[in-house]
Parts: sequence; structure tokens; C-alpha cells
Amino acid sequence: MAPSRLTAQVAGVNGKTALRFLLRAFGAAILVLVIWRVTTVGLAEGYPASFWISQALNGLVLGGVYALVALGYTLVYGILFMINFAHGEVMMIGGIAGFFALQFSQARGWLEGPWPVVVVALLLIMLFGMAASVLIGVTLERLAYRPLRQAPRLVPLISAIGASLFLQYSVLLIFGVSPHSYRKPALISGGMRMGDVFIPYTGAIIFVTSILLMLALYFIIQRTKLGRAMRAVAEDRATASLMGVDVNAVIVITFMLGSALAGAAGVMLGFHNTVVKFNSGFVPGLKAFTAAVLGGIGNIPGAMFGALILGLIEAIGPSALGIPTEYKDVIAFTLLVLILIFRPSGLFGEVLSEKKA
Amino acid sequence: MTALLSIQAVTKVFGGLTAVDNVNLDIEERSITSLIGPNGAGKTTLFNCLTGLHTPEAGQILFDGRSLIGLRPDEIIARGVARTYQNIRLFGRMTALENVLVGQHLQLRASHWSAVLRSARQQAEERAARSFALELLAFVGLESHAEVVSTNLPYGEQRLLEVARALGSRPSLLLLDEPAAGMNPSETDRMMELVHRLRDEKGVTVFLIEHDMKVVMSVSESVAVLDYGEKIAEGTPEEVRANARVVEAYLGPEVVLQDTVATSDI
Amino acid sequence: MTPIRANGAIRNGLIAFAFLGYLILIGIPGRIGGAALPVLALVAALFFWVRLRRDASGTDGSFPQTASPTGKPGWEIGAPGHTVSQEQVMPLPGAGGALAIRSGLLAGITTGLLIAIVSFAFASAIGSGASIQPVLDKIVPVNVAALIGVSPGQIANDEVPTLRYLLLVLIFTAAGLLAALAVVAARVRNPQKAPVARLSKSLDSQLYRTVARFTGILLPFLLLAYIAWLGIPGVSAFGSNEGTVRLLLTLIATGSGLFALRLVRPGREQNVVAPLLALGALTMPFILDQFQNSVMGLVFIFVMMGLGLNIVVGYAGLLDLGYVAFFAIGAYTYAFLSAPFSSPYISSLLNLLAISPEIPLLGYWTALPVAMLTAAIGGILLGIPVLRLRGDYLAIVTLGFGEIIRLFMLNLGELTNGPRGILEISQPGLFGLAPQSFSSGFLSSQGWIFLLALISSALVAFVAIRLNDSRLGRAWFAMQEDEDVAEATGVHLVRTKLLAFAIGATFAGMAGQLYASRQINIFPENFSLFVSIDALALIIVGGIGSPAGIVLGALALKGLPEVLRGVDEYRIVTFAALLVIMMIVRPAGILPSARRRTQVAAPDEQALTPGAEEPVAKELDGDTARQAQAASPQSEAVRDKEDQ
Repeated sequence: MAPSRLTAQVAGVNGKTALRFLLRAFGAAILVLVIWRVTTVGLAEGYPASFWISQALNGLVLGGVYALVALGYTLVYGILFMINFAHGEVMMIGGIAGFFALQFSQARGWLEGPWPVVVVALLLIMLFGMAASVLIGVTLERLAYRPLRQAPRLVPLISAIGASLFLQYSVLLIFGVSPHSYRKPALISGGMRMGDVFIPYTGAIIFVTSILLMLALYFIIQRTKLGRAMRAVAEDRATASLMGVDVNAVIVITFMLGSALAGAAGVMLGFHNTVVKFNSGFVPGLKAFTAAVLGGIGNIPGAMFGALILGLIEAIGPSALGIPTEYKDVIAFTLLVLILIFRPSGLFGEVLSEKKA
Repeated sequence: MTALLSIQAVTKVFGGLTAVDNVNLDIEERSITSLIGPNGAGKTTLFNCLTGLHTPEAGQILFDGRSLIGLRPDEIIARGVARTYQNIRLFGRMTALENVLVGQHLQLRASHWSAVLRSARQQAEERAARSFALELLAFVGLESHAEVVSTNLPYGEQRLLEVARALGSRPSLLLLDEPAAGMNPSETDRMMELVHRLRDEKGVTVFLIEHDMKVVMSVSESVAVLDYGEKIAEGTPEEVRANARVVEAYLGPEVVLQDTVATSDI
Repeated sequence: MTPIRANGAIRNGLIAFAFLGYLILIGIPGRIGGAALPVLALVAALFFWVRLRRDASGTDGSFPQTASPTGKPGWEIGAPGHTVSQEQVMPLPGAGGALAIRSGLLAGITTGLLIAIVSFAFASAIGSGASIQPVLDKIVPVNVAALIGVSPGQIANDEVPTLRYLLLVLIFTAAGLLAALAVVAARVRNPQKAPVARLSKSLDSQLYRTVARFTGILLPFLLLAYIAWLGIPGVSAFGSNEGTVRLLLTLIATGSGLFALRLVRPGREQNVVAPLLALGALTMPFILDQFQNSVMGLVFIFVMMGLGLNIVVGYAGLLDLGYVAFFAIGAYTYAFLSAPFSSPYISSLLNLLAISPEIPLLGYWTALPVAMLTAAIGGILLGIPVLRLRGDYLAIVTLGFGEIIRLFMLNLGELTNGPRGILEISQPGLFGLAPQSFSSGFLSSQGWIFLLALISSALVAFVAIRLNDSRLGRAWFAMQEDEDVAEATGVHLVRTKLLAFAIGATFAGMAGQLYASRQINIFPENFSLFVSIDALALIIVGGIGSPAGIVLGALALKGLPEVLRGVDEYRIVTFAALLVIMMIVRPAGILPSARRRTQVAAPDEQALTPGAEEPVAKELDGDTARQAQAASPQSEAVRDKEDQ
């Protein structure tokens, strides 16, 4: 019945889909605006190619760090369907702990020693930051989230907001308002020059380390018994527990893994930004959440690629659009809003979309 | 007499699965029609297409001579098509009375300004709405539970309350999705009686999905059978009961189905 | 019933140590000074008491692990439908008094030893001249010194007698013992809470109830009279603290007014008391001084904010974390219209409209509709993109919106003057009178703002309550319960949601305008995320969906910190911890709305809750809960789970 098929389609436009149509128009307008800005302003500035390349590399480094934090959001969301709003603070505490470990190593003179000593010291610093984050993450789960596991979903979110504020201001009270500055050891403070592009060693190290950590996580989740248990719990908690999976243990381990990655990210962000302070986890946390949503929350490779894309956009965006760099946060949040509006399941698809009801 | 609801070649596809396949069905005014079929036959999907939750890929749905396709659920209920749900979906923390008052949402016309100022007209309207809601609760037999929070009602009464809420919109066609599911025999009898009274006293055309053959056979004037999304039979209960295809697809394992269906979900 | 085991006791000791360690790190002992040790010991004792009692009664105190009826967690705040867990009230075990004492002692010794060892380690390290970290060097010596009762100088010179550390251990052990004795004594004396029952019986007479009720109703008036008397020149009762005491009394008077309103019977009694209370509230701005008025003004500006946000979050169930955006829009709109600063954009716009740019462009009252309208438009514009989002996503996106608005205020220097802010915003007048001409005498300028805030909040509350009572309120609530069914029942989702956003934004715009005139100068940092979080927190603490709860929440969260000026630095931490505890213990708020109170367990389950037959006992349990909160964030020994 060809005519009625047609009626169905025509009628569909003016009714239910009117809002969607409006939103599409809104999105298209923004896209046109962006393209227009990029072509008339950004490219017209006439920056050399090396400028773009170094910006892009910078973006990848930032993206690597975001990815580590984003994985924490995605892991927890995949299993508990809650946004661990305090995850950015878990990262910040890793950074603070890393700062003290760094101070300690510097006082001992380890960072001026031969290169194997420096490498081991740096690894220890990162491990210390990770350990601190794991401690905080697990405590958080035990005190603020576990009692609320069966509660309506708004309740743990508000609890998480409270926990986030609590951690931030505890750090403020204990360690003060002033930022703590990371001093890089001589070994990694330089960089290498490839043509016109300068690549700082820290950037390269951060990028490689985050990729390695992500691969490790991916291996754990895809190839080990623990990973299988995690996936089973994410799929269906009740059934998994009937199959003999200790759900509580899996949730704690999930928090541990996520927090460890966040701790590493905190230390690396400390080296990258050179300072940490009580609120330095908040905005990166929000960005990492954006990245997780960008890639499709609950989707692990999605979070990695989403973060890299976000890092790139944030690094290149302001220059490409010809707007001040202060607006890079605006770009990130606008991106978040646009994605949630037009593709709520993310670029790579949400793994568990139907379960969040 | 022309049909109140006319479903013409409606098809709904999910991914690769054709949930509703080229279904044609007419429902006369003031009739009681049952839609039966095994689990997953596409019955609830058809209801969802009728109430605007899904938009069919093809076909036409005419209600009172006008197309329902492409309308939002709230526009469809404004035309006079109300429904209940297979897995009860009441507004859990509202009282029974409030549930029925929400059902009347579209009947109330007073502006929000007049609600703030409590104008005489708005107050009169609210009073009328309240007494109509109480009347409907009495109609389904829940008059003594008006102030009970709906999650605290027993299961069978929650189903009755859903019917009352649907009646709040003064529908001319009422879609009941397994009204007797999970009910004990006496509750089922009460529901069957209610279905008759809906038509006789309220003049509502009833279109219901049901698995309980006792209900189907005693309540309906005509029966349509869906299997794998296709309509395989239609007629009076006796005709359908005698239809070979139906017996093969459905009535054969009737006893087994009755047991499993009561507890099953979508 | 968990037996009291040794490792459990040590665990309690460790947790107490962790908590006390946290208190020491954030600098509590240094602040308290000489009394630090007894105070901390008391805190520890309280904590041990809670834990021991919990161990003895065998509840785990966590959120009842019953699945919600539909099997999926919903979005509503408040206790879910079936929260009665039968294990919550269990008789205390028959044997094990000695066990409890042993376990209390063990926990106390663990805590005491750990604290002694750690403070010894720090003290001797500092004494031997080792520099810890620059940060810890500033906070640790003072606190350790206060804890062991010596001066920082003595620590630095390594002159701490070892006996002091022993004293630490002893005192904490005593705390453990005290707690254990309290638990045992309670069990021996009243296995069935006998004194409580007797007390409740003797208090349950008609006479007592009548007296209590009338006292409750009279209290706000008495307090108000007292405050007024204190305000008479020449009268002084509290010396240098008088301002603070009067502020505290004002807060209590306002709060007790709310309770008085609940105590009166509807009908004639209410018709007399309610107008009297309103009159009392209106006299407050005249009898308070500048400082108290400015605090109360802020409180009621936040009441307006809370009422607006409550429409979005409490009524319509849309979690909006970017609510500050509308507050900012209202404030900046009024600032543009009334301050000398004129941005190039606005001047050119005025030129375009052929309006001569005189200052102020509009007065307070003429600007009010403009500010409200701008905020409402903002609400709709920000509402449209998020219409399809639910739950967490909505929260995060609105949070992002709030940040975007703030970043724009900060960086759009030409429009908003950037971080330098907008200065000299004009004050509200009255019928052409300049603000100074009538506010100098009997009403201070802040009193005038307070009066306006009071009247505006009353207006806003009136509109909010009336709307919630109408079909729109029912549609909001239905939408919150089940969006799809609400739509299929005839609720136009787009319109209903946008109305919630727009009305909420309008109220925030009003609040923002008043805030701008209260502050006189506004800066982008006045509109940070914390304003949103404060507004959200006050409606959650007070009782979401309940206007009286919102006033109470604003008094507690915006008023009390002003009284506790000295501990201002601990405000956010305390309040954040309170937010978490509140969610665990009493998710429906202090004064829950009527709707949430009706949501009790099913009748047959109610019979299984002994608490339901023993209201007084229950109330006392509530008190233990509050004490437990004061003691530690781990307080889980709370039986008051139902939403009463």
C-alpha cells in the first residue's frame, strides 16, 4: 500500500518529530557557524603548519590524561549506573599525594641521580599517587555510595556532589589554598625538536604512559577472570551474583581500578600543568565526564577515543575559531551539550543504554 | 455503521524484526473486541502504535475518520483514545484520587493564572473534577481508597485504578492491556463485569489484549488473533475458537500459556 | 545478631582514629586550644557508643536493601516505597555485657595508642629539628601541641614529658569504657526502653499536649518580643556577643514560626495565628540592626531561589545544577539597567532605539518585570535543548550551562565588565521616594532589602503553592513519576517542562535582582557553581517539595554560618558531610512535604514496625542519629529510616 506508507511519513513530520526537527535545525545552525568561523577567522590567521601540529600534540597529551579519568567514570557508570561526581577529586588527591612524594624524592636527591634511579623514583611517585587515590576511592564507595545502592538515583548523585565538595574543602583545610608546584626533574624537563615542532619530554611520557595504562585496563577487562566478572555485573547484577560472582568485591575493584587510573592521571596532570591545588580536579573531572559521554558512557574504547577527541578539540578549537583560549572550557561544555542533544548514546554508542531507563 | 477505529495495513519494524506485519482491523463503536495471540505476537506493539508511543513504518490508523499517525501520545488521548498498561504504571506516590485527576488533565481548561488567583471558575472546575474523579473511583469500586497512595493498593485494585485513570480523560475508545493478568478468579470476575459496565454504562468502546481465555470468550463480541505480527483470524469468539490456524498457533498450548503468561513481562 | 568480636573492636578503634586524625588534620584541636583532648575524647566516646549499640542490636544500618517495586530505581528523592526492613529493631542480646566492655576498652586503647604514637612521632620529629613538609609544618605543631596539652614551643624544644602520651592513651581508653558502660547500662535498665515508655505515658496527657502546643505557638512571638527589647538603645544583655546572639535568636524565631504554623489547628485558630505570624515577620526588619537584617535578607533571597529551584527539581523532578545562571541573569539585567556602567553593546542598542542613556535607566520596580522576563526567556532557551535528557545527563548538562554563563560573564569584558564587576547598582525606592529618604530612620537600608525579600518570598511561595495545587502541579508530579505515562495521559511534556524551567527561572531572576541591589556591586564570582549547590542543598536539607522546609533549610545553611562566624572555614566541609549523611539517613529532608509524608509503608508492613507504635522512642532514635552525625560521618546506626 504505497499511498498509506507515504501518509505515515508525511504526517510524522508535523507531529511528534517537530521538536527533533527544531533541534536538528539548531544543530545545523551551530555547525554552519563553526565552519564559517573556522574558514574565515581561524585559517585566515595564517598560522604555520607547525603551530597546528604542536597544538594537536598538546591536545593528544591532554586527551590521554582525560582518557584515564574518563575510564573511571565509564567503569563506575557501567556497573552502578551512577555518575561518580567526586571522581575528579579522587584524581586531584592523587596529584596532591604525588606532589608530596615528589618533594620527598627531591629532598632525598633521587631525582638528580643517574637515569635509572630517576625513572624508578618517578614510577614510585606515580604509584604513591595511585595508592592515595585508590584509598580515597574505596573509602568513598564504602561511606557515601554503598549505603545508597538501592536508593532512588537522585540520592547517590547528591551524595556524590556532597562527597566532591567534602574532598575539595578538606584538602583546602589541610594543605591550604595556595597551589603546590611540581618541579620537574632535569631529566624530563627538556624536549625534542622535530623540524619546527617542539615536543616536551613530559608530554611524550604522559601520552605513552596513558596509552600503556589504558591497554593494561583493556587487557584486564577483556582477558581476565576478574574482567569477566566485571562485565557480568555490569550486564545484570542479580544474575551475576546468582552465578557466584561477589558483586560487592567487583564493585570495590571497579572503584579501585578507576581510582588508580585517576591517581596516575592526577600525577601526570601535575607534571603537565606544573601545579595542583584543592580545586584542580573539578574542571578536568567535568571534562573527563564529557569525554566519557562523547564516546558513549559505559563503553571503554569509546571513553579513550572520546577523550582524545575532546583533548584535540580543546587544544585546536580556540585558535581555529579565532576566540580567546579562556573559552576552551566553553567549547568543551558546548560540545557536551550538543552531543547529549543529538547523540545521547555517544559517538561510539552506549554499551548499556537500555538499562539506565 | 462505520468503524470507530480502523487499522489499515499497519506495519512496525524493530531492527530486522517485523513486530506488526500489515495488520488490518476495524473496531465498531460500542463494541468489545479482544486481541489475542501468543507471547511476542506484537499485541502490545500494536497498542503502542495506536497510542503514539511508536510510529508505524507503514499503514494508516483512522480514529473517528481522522488519522492518528504522527500524533504525540497527549494528542491521541485528546482525541479520545485512552489505555492501561500490561505492567501496571500508576503514578506511584500519588493517591488514587490524584491519579484520576491527572487522567482528567486535558478536560481541565482553567489557565495557570487562574489557578494562582483561585478564580471562581477555576475552583468550580476543580470541584467538578474532584467529584467526577470520585464518581469514577466509585464506578470501579475504589471509592473508599481515594486517599490511599497508589503503590500501597493491592495489585488487583491497582489495575482497577488504571482503568479509572484512563476513564478520567472521557475516552470513547479504551485500550486495556491484559486487564486480568495476575488476578485471582474473583478479581478476574470483577474485571470482566467492569468491562461490560464500561460499555453499557459509560458507552466506551473497549479493545483489550487478554490471555485468559475465559475472559476473552465471555467478554468479547469479536476476537482478532495475532501471530508473529500477522493477523491470522478474526470473528466472533466461536468462529475463532473453531479456526484451525488459531488452534494450531495458539489454542493448542492454551493451558500452558495461561500459566506462564500471568507472571511474564514484556 | 553479630557477636562482638575483638577484630571488630579494633576496627572500631581504627575508624575512630581515622576520623579523629581527620579532625586533627583540618585543625580542630588548634582551634579549640586547651580543651581539645577532652572534646576529642568525647567525640570518640560518642562514636564508640554508636558502634557498640549497633553491634549489640545487630543492625547493619545501611540503606534497606529492598528492591523498589518496579525493580528499577526511580528518580524521586525521598525514601522509596518499601523501606521497612524488619531487622532494624531487634532486642538486645541477653548476654555479653562483659563482651561489650571488653570491646569498648579494646577500641579505646587502639585509638588512644595510635593517636599517641602518631603524635609522639610528629612531636619528636619536630623536636629533633626535622622539617616535615612546608604545609604540614604549619598545621601539625599547633594541633599536636593542643592535643597533648603543651605549647608549640615545648614541642620544638623537645620538652614534652612522656607521661603526656600515656595520658592520651588513658583518656581514649576511658572514652571506650564510658561508651561500653553506657550501652550496658542502657540494656540492663531498660530492655524495652521502659523509661522512655513511662516518660511518654506521663507526657501523653491532654493537658501536656495542650500546654506544649500553646508554648509552641507562642514561642516565636515571645522570641520576637525579646529581640525587640534587646534592640532598644541602652538595653544590653550579652556584651560584645549581642549582635550574634540576636541573630541566632532571629533565626530561631523564624524557624519556630514555621513550626507554630504547623501546630495550629486549621479553622479559626489558624485564621488568627497565621496573620499574627505574618505581622510578626513583617516587624522583624524594623527591630533588627543592619547586620542582622543583611543576613536575614540573604536568607530570604535564598528562600526565593530555593522555591524556584524547588519547582524545577522538587515538583517537576528535573535535576538542574545550573540554576545560578538565572540568578545571574536577573542580577546582571538589573545591573545593566541601574548602574552607571554602560557597555558599548547596550549603548549602541539604546542609540538604535533612540533612548537617551540616562542613569539609572530604570528603577527597581520598573526593572523587575524586565529582569523576570529576561530570566524566564533564559530558562526557556536553556530548557529547549535539554528537553529530551533525563536524570544524571540533565544534571551534568545544566551544570555545564551554569559554567558557560559564568565564563561568559568573566570573559565578555565589553558586556559585563569582566572580573571587575558592575559597581554602584542603585537601591530600590518606593513610590518615587529615594531609598535614603525613608530608610535612614526606623528602617535600615538592609532592613528595607530584608523587607522586600520577605514580601517577595511570600509572594513566590504563594504562587508556587497555588500552582502545585492545580492541574499543573499534578502534571509536574505525574511527569516526575513516569514521563511516558504522563504523556499518554494527556500531559504535554514540552510545554509542562518548559513551564517549570521558565517559572523557576523567573523566581531566580527576581532573587538575582534583589541580590544585586543588596550587594550594590556584583562580580562574576558571586555566581559560581556553589550558588546552585547551595540552593539545591537547602531544599534537600529542608525537605524537597515543601516550602516550609525550604525556609528552614535557608535558615540553617545561609543563616547559621553567619552566627558561627568563627568556624566559617569549616562551613563547606561540614555542610558537604551533612549532605552525604542526609542522603543516607533522611533523604526526604527535615520538614518533608505532605506528599512525601503520605508515602508510608503498606498497612500490613506497618504492623511489623514497632517504631510506628512508639512515636516517642522513635523521636529519641532520631536524636541519636543526630548525635551520631556530629560524631562521625560513618554514623550508620540509625533506625529512623522511614519518612515520617
